[in-house]
Amino acid sequence: MTHVKICGLMEEQHVKAASSADAIGFVFAPSRRRVSIERAQELSRLATNEVQRIGVFVNASYEEIDKAVKTVPLTMVQLHGDEPDELIQRIEVPVIQAFSIRTPADVEKLNSSIADYVLVDAPGTDYRGGSGHVFDWSLLENANLDHSRLILAGGLNKDNVQAAISQTHPFMVDVSSGVETDGRKDEVKIQQFILQAKGDSMERTQEKTIDPVGFFGRYGGQFVPETLMKAVKELEAAYEDAKNDAEFQKEYHHYLKEYVGREQPLTFAARMTEAWGGPKIYLKREDLNHTGAHKVNNAIGQALLAQRMGKRKIVAETGAGQHGVATATICALFDLDCVVFMGEEDIKRQQLNVFRMKLLGARVESVTKGSGTLKDAVNEALRYWVTNVEDTHYLIGSALGPHPFPTMVRDFQSVIGKETKRQILEKEGRLPDAIVACVGGGSNAIGMFHPFIEDASVRLIGAEAAGDGVDTERHAATLTKGSEGVLHGAMMKILQDDAGQVQEAHSISAGLDYPGIGPEHAHLADNGRVTYEAITDDEALASVIEMSRLEGIIPALESAHAIAEAKKQAQSMTADDVLIICVSGRGDKDMATYAEKMEGLS
Amino acid sequence: MKRLAELKQSGHKAFVAYIMAGDGGIEKLGEQIQHLQERGVTAIEVGIPFSDPVADGPTIEAAGNRALDEGITLEKVLEEMQRFDFEVKVPLIIMTYLNPVIRFGAERFTLEAKKAGASGIIIPDLPFEHRQLIEPFAKQQELVLIQLVTLTTIDSRLKEILKQAEGFVYAVTVTGITGSRDELAEEVGAFTRKVRELSPVPVYAGFGISKESHVDMLRDDVDGFIVGSAIVQAFHEGRIEDVEPLIDAVTAPHSV
Ligand SMILES: Cc1ncc(COP(=O)(O)O)c(C=O)c1O
Repeated sequence: MTHVKICGLMEEQHVKAASSADAIGFVFAPSRRRVSIERAQELSRLATNEVQRIGVFVNASYEEIDKAVKTVPLTMVQLHGDEPDELIQRIEVPVIQAFSIRTPADVEKLNSSIADYVLVDAPGTDYRGGSGHVFDWSLLENANLDHSRLILAGGLNKDNVQAAISQTHPFMVDVSSGVETDGRKDEVKIQQFILQAKGDSMERTQEKTIDPVGFFGRYGGQFVPETLMKAVKELEAAYEDAKNDAEFQKEYHHYLKEYVGREQPLTFAARMTEAWGGPKIYLKREDLNHTGAHKVNNAIGQALLAQRMGKRKIVAETGAGQHGVATATICALFDLDCVVFMGEEDIKRQQLNVFRMKLLGARVESVTKGSGTLKDAVNEALRYWVTNVEDTHYLIGSALGPHPFPTMVRDFQSVIGKETKRQILEKEGRLPDAIVACVGGGSNAIGMFHPFIEDASVRLIGAEAAGDGVDTERHAATLTKGSEGVLHGAMMKILQDDAGQVQEAHSISAGLDYPGIGPEHAHLADNGRVTYEAITDDEALASVIEMSRLEGIIPALESAHAIAEAKKQAQSMTADDVLIICVSGRGDKDMATYAEKMEGLS
Repeated sequence: MKRLAELKQSGHKAFVAYIMAGDGGIEKLGEQIQHLQERGVTAIEVGIPFSDPVADGPTIEAAGNRALDEGITLEKVLEEMQRFDFEVKVPLIIMTYLNPVIRFGAERFTLEAKKAGASGIIIPDLPFEHRQLIEPFAKQQELVLIQLVTLTTIDSRLKEILKQAEGFVYAVTVTGITGSRDELAEEVGAFTRKVRELSPVPVYAGFGISKESHVDMLRDDVDGFIVGSAIVQAFHEGRIEDVEPLIDAVTAPHSV
């Protein structure tokens, strides 16, 4: 995917707005965007490690460049003057050499540059170092060029970047004035630019060979055995119909209110705010739902739909048992037959939930295959569904599986984000700066994020499970470590080996212990709209204690991953900022794990 | 695959054997293929093990896990097939889940499969709608992408699928996963008759076929049978002779 550089940054909020860019640039040459080395150093601290820091110079001395490289520190240097090759050679970090392009002869010069990258720009008018004018991209189109070292600059903005990319296939696009309003950087424009550049390059590379219905970019689809196709198609039609039926929506919301106890508060966490010393922290309280987590929002929606389709038998999988409990609960309420598949390992660590399901009248089937966790439970649930498809609905518990499941589950969970948006506008009169949610399969996160996707100023961060650490063999960090593949009916991101065998995931949290991530998240990761960070078991456990003691709220282990990530995010935010954490569930189900892991807690 | 059409013309029934490549070690693959072709099977499906075989029952899943424990991959199977030093006399069909193919690369897969002497591909989790992911590459290599139809395939869809069918059509005779069954549902006969009426290519019944009684029940309504779990288990237990009566029951000339 094409990289994006936001250049000429001078202010904190703009560095933050550029968090999903691949590179940020500081101008050290005479320009109205010039910053001192010290200022660049301060700003640079606000960017995540993955972001390249690029310093822009015009005919500076080696000493000056080297000082900036070491102090900021810079990860790349960009030269716009007549720097000699000897200087380029001496610079310790990769070098970008800039060229103004007017004629085909200018294009030829690019190939003789010894720099690591070549940046092409329109001829400058005022200062050297970029003019903001567009040059004729077609000059590059048929040129004999190494596009993997090409950086395109000059007059780019959100409206033309897509065309620029498809015409010139650069390694990176570089923008400065195109994301400014009245000569100053503009957060919204920065984010829109990144979305356009990344989103559309996705589309461009996507194999447009398959039916786009049910796809998010390249992810999604209906990769199921033929026996299930009829059920999947019927579900697709039934959901489409129900979605637009006011009666259905009314009934769904009736149960959310009268049975689940919605709407859930957006609680201001005063003590956490104080303790973290950064942004105002708000907690979206999915832990207060009947049954203890967000899962019930989806279970009600799907159970109503199943009945609408004349199906009175339900099969479900469960990891932490929260989805199993939610499903068993709703099946009791609506008098539906209920079978829940659950991995043997999860049965052990979530015994309370196993008993709850039984008490509610569900049949719990232990799955001993594989690692005995969520992936294996989904396999068995799918096999059961293949065999009983004529009268059974598969009530999948996360934003996973063949279309329409990822869309439908997201829609049912979007009540989380919709309420949150209304609540934060009431409380703060504005949108939040950042929202963090944990991602297993991705349902609470997508439900929270979806209503904010178009709001470019709201940073969205998913916290996945790093288990023992992403560099160990034991983690569930699908977006950090995974790659594209087909599992459980959809093209998504999965943990797999070189031969395409799906690997086992590991997390202390049964609900995040899954080697895949729903297709919409995979797409949002690719296009950069959502960033995903990985949180280890230990970090999550520490957050359980912290939130319990600061707020009197014992979170679920899954939710604790979001809290731990929020704490990290808070460090680079200020008191004027607002950060929302989705507390997807309460910790009752995890009490045995907490007791064991925190033995001797005082 | 022309051979399959000719067989149909002649009125003989086809017997397609499914084996799990690498169950018992990769060297068993060649042995098993030779054994089966000597015993007169019509074609062989070479199964590729997969970590999450949701269309398969316990027998094939267990065989797949044994093969995975042996370190078997799609690549190793294709390499082994390219090394065969005996004459392969029957069509070989690669049966694999989609993910190993995506990982390997669809184009590379069809290229290597062709080199390995395969004539066709079956991918149980690649529905008709998404066949474009593989079919164009398969066509380039003149490999046929076998389609499955099932008891739950609605009529309009069945017609669409059959219009495009090549090689043979895999008629799934149970609503469920692979594995031996005592009995097949009554409705299966009507289903295979319907498929056969509409299909331009031979129709083979598979999933759950493990007994002569199943063959007797469907003989007049299909062009052949696909037997998987029974063969996989017999090879695993070293008693492949036990399946021979079933092969004979299908392939022996039969007066109608
Ligand atoms: C409390 C809680 N949060 C989060 C999850 C993770 O699922 P998802 O990513 O679908 O929200 C689970 C799953 O069991 C859960 O129980």
